[in-house]
Amino acid sequence: MKPDLMPNNQKPIAAKTKQKAKKKRSDRSLGYMLIAPSMILILIIAIWPVFQSFYYSMFDLRLNNPAKSEAYVSYKVNLQTYLDNYPFLISSLEDELDEATGKTKSELEAIKTNLEKVDSELKADGELSSKYDEIDEKLTVMEPISEELAVSDLDKEVALDLEKAVTDSSEQLRELKSELKNPEDVIGLSSSLKDSVITPNFIGLKHYKENLTDSRMWKAIQNTTVFTVISVFAELVIGLAIALLINKAFFGRGLVRATILIPWAIPTAVSAFMWKYLYDGQNGIVAKAFAEIGLFDQMTDMLTTSTGAMFAVIFADVWKTTPYMALLLLAGLQTIPSSLYEAAAIDGASKWKQFLKITLPLLKSSILVALLFRTLDAFRVFDLIYVLTGGGPANSTETISILAYKVMFAQTNFGEGSALSVIVFVCVAIISMIYIKFLGRDLLNDR
Amino acid sequence: MNKKAGPMFYVFLTLFVFLVMFPFLWVLASSIKPVAELFGDRAFIPFTNNMTGENYESVFVNYPFLKYLWNSLVVSTITTVYAVLVASFAAYAIARLNFKGKTVILGLVLSVSMFPQIATISPIYIVLKNLGLTNSYLGLIIPYTTFTLPLSIWLLVTFFRKIPFDLEEAAKMDGASPMQTYWRVILPLAIPGIFTTAILVFISAWNEFLFALTINTDDEFKTVPVGIAMFEGQFTIPWGEVTAATVIVTVPLVIMVLLFQRRIVSGLTSGAVKE
Repeated sequence: MKPDLMPNNQKPIAAKTKQKAKKKRSDRSLGYMLIAPSMILILIIAIWPVFQSFYYSMFDLRLNNPAKSEAYVSYKVNLQTYLDNYPFLISSLEDELDEATGKTKSELEAIKTNLEKVDSELKADGELSSKYDEIDEKLTVMEPISEELAVSDLDKEVALDLEKAVTDSSEQLRELKSELKNPEDVIGLSSSLKDSVITPNFIGLKHYKENLTDSRMWKAIQNTTVFTVISVFAELVIGLAIALLINKAFFGRGLVRATILIPWAIPTAVSAFMWKYLYDGQNGIVAKAFAEIGLFDQMTDMLTTSTGAMFAVIFADVWKTTPYMALLLLAGLQTIPSSLYEAAAIDGASKWKQFLKITLPLLKSSILVALLFRTLDAFRVFDLIYVLTGGGPANSTETISILAYKVMFAQTNFGEGSALSVIVFVCVAIISMIYIKFLGRDLLNDR
Repeated sequence: MNKKAGPMFYVFLTLFVFLVMFPFLWVLASSIKPVAELFGDRAFIPFTNNMTGENYESVFVNYPFLKYLWNSLVVSTITTVYAVLVASFAAYAIARLNFKGKTVILGLVLSVSMFPQIATISPIYIVLKNLGLTNSYLGLIIPYTTFTLPLSIWLLVTFFRKIPFDLEEAAKMDGASPMQTYWRVILPLAIPGIFTTAILVFISAWNEFLFALTINTDDEFKTVPVGIAMFEGQFTIPWGEVTAATVIVTVPLVIMVLLFQRRIVSGLTSGAVKE
């Protein structure tokens, strides 16, 4: 504080601090108000799903199986499915009973009483019984039934009884198959009836245990690591070389800058398809060029051998993202004052020495930031490989994201897929923690 | 480092630009060849004597390509406008106001932007499916928030920080309310930064693939990247149409990049470089 300001400040100092405190308080409430919408959106749309993924990963969740299509922690019964099948099963059994004789008849008799016994058990519960009647009524007039009404909680004992009764009856009916008049009917109805019992599909960490001992998962991790390390390293070296070379005044600078932005700007899926054309075994010019310089024996090797395919995806990735790397590093280079180089030159330092002693240390944080973003991007690679090779040939380019996608959407096994995606998340978190340790708090510092 | 560029430098530069652009040039050359010349002996000759527009015609006639373009445009535009708007409030607060937990919040934003998409897809897919929002524009706009909002906040914070603080102080001295200060003083100065952010957010939404692939599977709502990636015929890939579609998608991007290259570069490097 300059001394000449002192007299001015002395008198109203109390008022000023008061004002300052007030300003601080209003700043704070305004600040929280302004960030609230963004924070709420981020919490709901980005952070909640990660926790939910973890939750799903502990369930045997399969979207194509109605009894496992949601995460159930308790026993439930789907009365709609139940009533869609039970009355018809009973009447079919009665038909069969009319025709049957001897041992078959007594066995059918036993099945029927068994089923009727659990049916009465179901109706013994007051709340369930009223729902039972309501759904039954709606089914007869073909009214739509909401999910909430159809699925209700069930006592564990009743649920186990019900499950045992329907499973047993289905098995017994299958054994009696040759004796029956319309075996398909009763067997079909009894097995559909099984779907009405919803048992908890909580399985704890089983998916993780299975995944961590699955060779396909480890192969995918290995592929992802190979892809990430090689492509990011190549991008760093080539990107740094380009940045050093174009860090000078030259004619057509804007045009060059625009050119190197185009691969970055084009959708990855589109560029991947473009490379698929260039790598094609019959008419791909790049495949032909590589075969001609002896990189591959035959043009077709590029996408049909495992090393060829891995090379192909890495090459396409390097082409697409090296420009981005070069731009980041170029911006870092331009913040290094040229006086440092002049001083070094006067002291007789060679170009190489200048690079090692000035450029690299001053560029360190730029390099680390660029590496962080690129490593994370490469580790979660999806579009490029999905379009270019689909993970093939023989899973040789299948990365962990591709594997998780396939498990979730091709096998509709959301539980296991979620476990895989949590593994991806954990890997990404570990990678960023390592980088941030090196970067320190540099990344978030104010000004 | 202001060395002068020699002739060798320009030779190298030309070679470099050619290598970067080669895939595009080759695809452009292929797209105007008749389909027969894409295979066999003539496949490796870049020029044709029978220039044709049939591939371009086919892209629009045999595929709902115009629909894909429209879908991408709608989804990316709405996503950009709303993400940048919401983010601008948060970024202003983080960059200009004093309150506790700022650094933590910025750290949270940065870590969310690093989330792998695959880690959020299963719950998002199930929720959207249960809400009946799969195969709709909203079905993509909502999940696109996961990466556009953190990106916007991150970029806008660096731009807002560059605006001199004196101006804001002066406005306050003159009795302007925080809202007035924001609308009258900060916002006009921040327009270039907001515009840059919008370009980058638009490109990232336009290029998104995983959500678009899983959530909008109907041709009616497919976006361009997914549309092109699914261009496979029954037995062979229709290379003629693929190359033509690639050119159609790339040309507007080239124009945009030429026009806005300065802004894009400043946006890309702003968060990453300490000045």
